[in-house]
Amino acid sequence: MQSQYPLSLKSVTKMYEDGDKTAIILKDLSFNIKNGEMIAIIGPSGSGKSTFLSIAGALLTPDDGEVIVNGVTINNCNESDKANVRLNQIGYIFQTSNLVPYLNVEENLFFVLKMAKQWSVASKEFCHLLLEKVGLLNRAKHYPYQLSGGEKQRAAIARAFVNHPEIILADEPTASLDSSRSLAVMELISNMVKQYNKAAIIVTHDEQILPLCDRIFTMKDGNLVEKEREFI
Amino acid sequence: MLSHSIKEMIFYKVRYLLILFILFFIASLVFIINGLANGLSMDNASSIKKMNAESFFLDKDSENRIDRSKLTMGEISEDDFSANMQPLGISMTSMGIEKSDKDIEVTLMAINSASFLEPIAKEGKGLSNKKVNEVVLDDSLKQEGIKLGQKLRDEKSGVWLEVIGFTSNQTFSHTPVAFITFDTWKEINLEPFYSAIVVQNSSDSMEDISNKVNDGGWIEKEFVVKGIPGYEAEQNSLFMMLAFLIVIAVFVLGAFFYIMTIQKTNQFGILKAIGAKTAYLCKSTLLQVMILTMISLIAAVGFTWAIFLVLPEDIPFLFDPIQIAKFSGIIAIVSIFGSLLSTFNIIQADPIQAMGRVE
Repeated sequence: MQSQYPLSLKSVTKMYEDGDKTAIILKDLSFNIKNGEMIAIIGPSGSGKSTFLSIAGALLTPDDGEVIVNGVTINNCNESDKANVRLNQIGYIFQTSNLVPYLNVEENLFFVLKMAKQWSVASKEFCHLLLEKVGLLNRAKHYPYQLSGGEKQRAAIARAFVNHPEIILADEPTASLDSSRSLAVMELISNMVKQYNKAAIIVTHDEQILPLCDRIFTMKDGNLVEKEREFI
Repeated sequence: MLSHSIKEMIFYKVRYLLILFILFFIASLVFIINGLANGLSMDNASSIKKMNAESFFLDKDSENRIDRSKLTMGEISEDDFSANMQPLGISMTSMGIEKSDKDIEVTLMAINSASFLEPIAKEGKGLSNKKVNEVVLDDSLKQEGIKLGQKLRDEKSGVWLEVIGFTSNQTFSHTPVAFITFDTWKEINLEPFYSAIVVQNSSDSMEDISNKVNDGGWIEKEFVVKGIPGYEAEQNSLFMMLAFLIVIAVFVLGAFFYIMTIQKTNQFGILKAIGAKTAYLCKSTLLQVMILTMISLIAAVGFTWAIFLVLPEDIPFLFDPIQIAKFSGIIAIVSIFGSLLSTFNIIQADPIQAMGRVE
């Protein structure tokens, strides 16, 4: 049963042309994630973690294999359909918050809803609920340049959840934060993933956040290897 | 989408204001030069432009220049003329003013009084076929100190003419027109001639004239206006300025929008990553351009109107709403065209840019 997993990858291969050589980044990679599960992916830089996340998030197309989001194979979708998948089924948290600079915090959340044509009073209230959860309700009218790094990242977390996506993808969400703040941010993501029963993949360097995750994978030779809990 | 576009413009006030100002000044310059071109055109040729006429019969050797055309009076009889078809005599001359050393340059226009060629006298009275040596002048000559009842002396013939009325906006080749009757015309010219036969509405009798006079032909008013000495040279140079301004506008706006979208490429990538479609981003950029264009065009029209009101009267300037609407349309198309160059960048912006970038 494919559709029991919100996200599943089947035999995915991704190659890059590097001069006259071809570098294989992902090789015959298969992967499933369940709702309510939070997975961490670690590994040295250049090992293909971000490539994996980009393919899982419909930002890149694999050279071979299938990417199935909520039971739908998205490999052969056109750009516009992929944009819809990103808009409605996936919530991203990037290294930097990537908030829209000319919109204030709540407008950044509203903007996603408006693009998805889900703008309503109820959804507006949900935005405020999310902002309350990330502790930014009193900053709702502030612009990104008025916020600290941690606040921006929390706003980005709220934005990732605003469209009720099944999948949350985070690419080094704590890279631009100091260690005490990064733990707080990770706890926040973890709590929200559990509360809303999402499937979350976190790519990270940050060892201290690993105890918060259900499963931990290492990227090795183009494939994901699950780490035993005891090793941590 | 509208609120999103406007919010962005308000947030980045300075760069959008810069574009707004460029557009505003280019549009204003286009409108003002157009106003001057119209004003000069009127100042140059208002007598012919305003003439309620359709076609002119000119001498073939005149090369469409009404001031060079000479039709022998004997070839055409008075019976050929009607309410719809009238003779016109034109000659440029200088005149001396009674009790003054000054000379004035005028264009004499001989007409039959009470014909459709006679302008309305705004002051004094009109010409009469019963009296000779009377003249109705363009009122710009009042600035030379000429008054009703004063006498002017034609330098060539030495004939004295009495000013009996003033009319307005009657010029030919930038000189004021002095209207006289054909009886006076015969006094002044030893060998009187018709410069043109003018027809108000095209009719069959036009062919009769063509048959009677061999070396002549009918041409439309538009070409007679273009044939006025200096008219085309003047209009063409102004038109060239306008054309260059519009070409410059394409490149300046194109470059500006292009640089702005290059700056925003990363932004577009991020928006695409969180689910914005390329079409949405193109539309919102186009919407911004349209808002900017609208605001600057409205401001430029207002500015040109203000210039028109404050300019002194002796600077020829004409505010022509139809032409301004036309040029507004051209500028709007030009700025949208300029912004289309940048849609290419929007299409190329890759959502993957949102990944892996530390501020």
